[in-house]
Amino acid sequence: MSSTLHRRAQLTAIAALRWRMFVNGLRTKRGKMELVSRILITAAFALGGLGGFTAATGFAWYFVSQNKAEYLATLFWPIFFFWQVFPVMATAFTNNPDSSELLRFPLNYSSYFLIRLAYGFFDPASALGCLGLFGILLGASFARPILFPWTLLVVLTFALFNLVLMLTVFAWLERWLAQRRTREIMGVLFVLVMLSFQLIGPMMERLEKKPRPELGNATRIMVQVQAVLPPGLAADAIAQVTHSHYLVGVSSLFFLAALTAAIGSLLHLRLRAQFRGENLSEAAARPVVAQPQGLQVGWNLSGFSQPVAAVFEKEVRYLARSGPMLLTLVMPLFMLVIFRLGPANSLRHSNFLGRTPDMAFPGAVAYALLVLTNLVFNSFGGDAAGVQFFYASPVGFRQIMLGKNLTHASILLTNTALAWVAVSYFYGTPHLAVTIATVAGLLFAVPLNFAAGNLLSIYSPKKRDFATFGRQNASHTTVLASLGLQIVIVGIGVAAFFLAHLYKNPWIAVLLFLALAAISIPIYMIVLRRIDGFAIQRRETLLAELCRA
Amino acid sequence: MDLAPTISTQGLSRRFGDLVAVDGVDLRVSPGQFFGFLGPNGAGKSTTIKMLTGLLAPSSGRIEILGIDLNAYPVEVKRQIGVVPEGMALFGRLTGAEFLSFAGRMYGLDRITAAKRAAELLEFMQLADQPRKLVTDYSHGMQKKLALAAAVIHAPKVLFLDEPFEGVDAIAAGTLKSMLQGMIARGATIFLTSHVLEIVERLCSHVAIIHQGRLVAQGSLEELRAGVEAQTPAASGDGNTAAPSGEKLTLEQLFLRIVGGTHRTEQELSWLE
Repeated sequence: MSSTLHRRAQLTAIAALRWRMFVNGLRTKRGKMELVSRILITAAFALGGLGGFTAATGFAWYFVSQNKAEYLATLFWPIFFFWQVFPVMATAFTNNPDSSELLRFPLNYSSYFLIRLAYGFFDPASALGCLGLFGILLGASFARPILFPWTLLVVLTFALFNLVLMLTVFAWLERWLAQRRTREIMGVLFVLVMLSFQLIGPMMERLEKKPRPELGNATRIMVQVQAVLPPGLAADAIAQVTHSHYLVGVSSLFFLAALTAAIGSLLHLRLRAQFRGENLSEAAARPVVAQPQGLQVGWNLSGFSQPVAAVFEKEVRYLARSGPMLLTLVMPLFMLVIFRLGPANSLRHSNFLGRTPDMAFPGAVAYALLVLTNLVFNSFGGDAAGVQFFYASPVGFRQIMLGKNLTHASILLTNTALAWVAVSYFYGTPHLAVTIATVAGLLFAVPLNFAAGNLLSIYSPKKRDFATFGRQNASHTTVLASLGLQIVIVGIGVAAFFLAHLYKNPWIAVLLFLALAAISIPIYMIVLRRIDGFAIQRRETLLAELCRA
Repeated sequence: MDLAPTISTQGLSRRFGDLVAVDGVDLRVSPGQFFGFLGPNGAGKSTTIKMLTGLLAPSSGRIEILGIDLNAYPVEVKRQIGVVPEGMALFGRLTGAEFLSFAGRMYGLDRITAAKRAAELLEFMQLADQPRKLVTDYSHGMQKKLALAAAVIHAPKVLFLDEPFEGVDAIAAGTLKSMLQGMIARGATIFLTSHVLEIVERLCSHVAIIHQGRLVAQGSLEELRAGVEAQTPAASGDGNTAAPSGEKLTLEQLFLRIVGGTHRTEQELSWLE
């Protein structure tokens, strides 16, 4: 068999394998639930995507028909940001199965590379990004049908660029976060970036104080800079052709393609290492030197039993060794910085966060709770075959869950404290009543999240590797249920704060949250009390899902 | 004197839909026995050991460990047993010492005792020279040793081992065997499944054989030999199942006779040539 035919046969076999896995997955009740959840989530994404598609089509048509195709950059930039940021912010939605298991087969490198690219296209960010780009293609083609082939070429190149960049970022993040030394360097860089953002505020203020012509110059510079970046290049490639500057248009597309190739070569470096069987373990990176160690005594948690303290310690150690998870957990603080630079800054004059900076604290805490859902709603995912140990041990799941919940609560508490400090630093100290209302809100939201999370951890588990980044998606049932719960909780929170604002008395929110906490805490206690029974009842499903190779 | 059994099952069955994986198994393991549980692939060994250790619910039947009903008092039973299940039940992102200390505390040891025993076990198992290495980076043999160390940290009276020698080299196997023999000498009972019949023959005083979900033989090796020889003359069978005259049947020969298997020697896959 020729190598091309052989490769085609392999790719067909892999596609067939994915299809069989999907069909076989429907044999169980849980598999069918997963399918229903997946359809609902896809529908929700599609709805949002259709909005983006319609807007992209309309604006693209307007810009091109008004002979202002350079403004297409305002469409390409949001698509670019969404495509790159969404997968990092919402790893639970990513859908890139681990392809490393394919390496045992005689797959050549180019097939492996192609498969990784194809898997990348299954990511919701890619699908929605492509929908937005399709909107631009349609809008521009409606305005000037002759532009269709050229716009198609530009849009395809831009889509490929985004796909390759997304995969490259994930692959390199995974590489850097896998080892302690590079993780520490990343941590330092992150802190430096956070600090450097502080310089932007004063710079912007200085610019604002200067006469308008200078501000105009700054804007012109920004426009020029963005024009040589990929979204700007894509817009320029179309715009120059509409102005009959064919050579410039072609050179813009050429630069975009060259950038895609450059990023692609970085991806190639990573994937080639993976193809050759790279092991991203921590121990491999360090010299194996025997070091005498004293007696390693476990942690003590006063007021809690030995098993609860042991589970707490184990969970903390797991998280501390998971770079991807740590990065996810600091995202709320990062978002505060982003908002400081973005909407909050620009909307200061429209009296949003500028006049009510107090909203930043509850917002940051709500986001901190949201990023915890990955852990809370799939508590046993990282334990994998270790879950057998829990079942074989003489410890009830009540204590195991309590240990896990304590860990999650500690993370949330730390994030809340850090968010309070960050908000005070960036926006001013939140009002005392708002601070208390937010904490009261947590007293309501956390037990409800933990109760639902504990149940879903048992009823809809999904094995996950804490060491890899974004190559694994959560159970769709869990995603749907947790999303629904968060919408309800955030809705109640917004309503409580709205009422407090309406009556100009923030203590109303405190009272409302405390009343709701009086309901949610007993719910949590009831679930915790009955969790042993649920765990025994679901023993086989849990073990089958988490212990599979 | 007939001692009360350490492990006993009555009519133990397990169905998966239409498939009967374990069918009415009556096991009896006395205190201090090194008990080997054998059977061909898919015979129901792992299903049985999972039921005995509380990892799988039986469809019907009764299990008693140390005279305690497992279904009624699972925690009391689990406190007194140690388990190395099929998947080894390790937490990959802990170091060996952290995992053993964790295991000890989950079995009720205080944290100082757990840490001391963890250090001793790591030393005994020759795993102490790389204290910062994560379990996920251990070799298969090292993981087996660590799993066994975790199973014995609370000095259990009964030890259940599912394929403890699978994928383990001779040196590691030697360490495991010496530990297990030490436990037997101190009065513990060990129940293991294995495909390595030579090891079972050397270690175990008693065996049971399960075939297609049913228990087809149970007793000491001598009892099994006597039973098989009484049923079939020594000269019968093919080259794999017959012992040279005057010699005892090996466990492998006994096993093949009981489950009715033969080694397939004829070449049937012409395309492999």
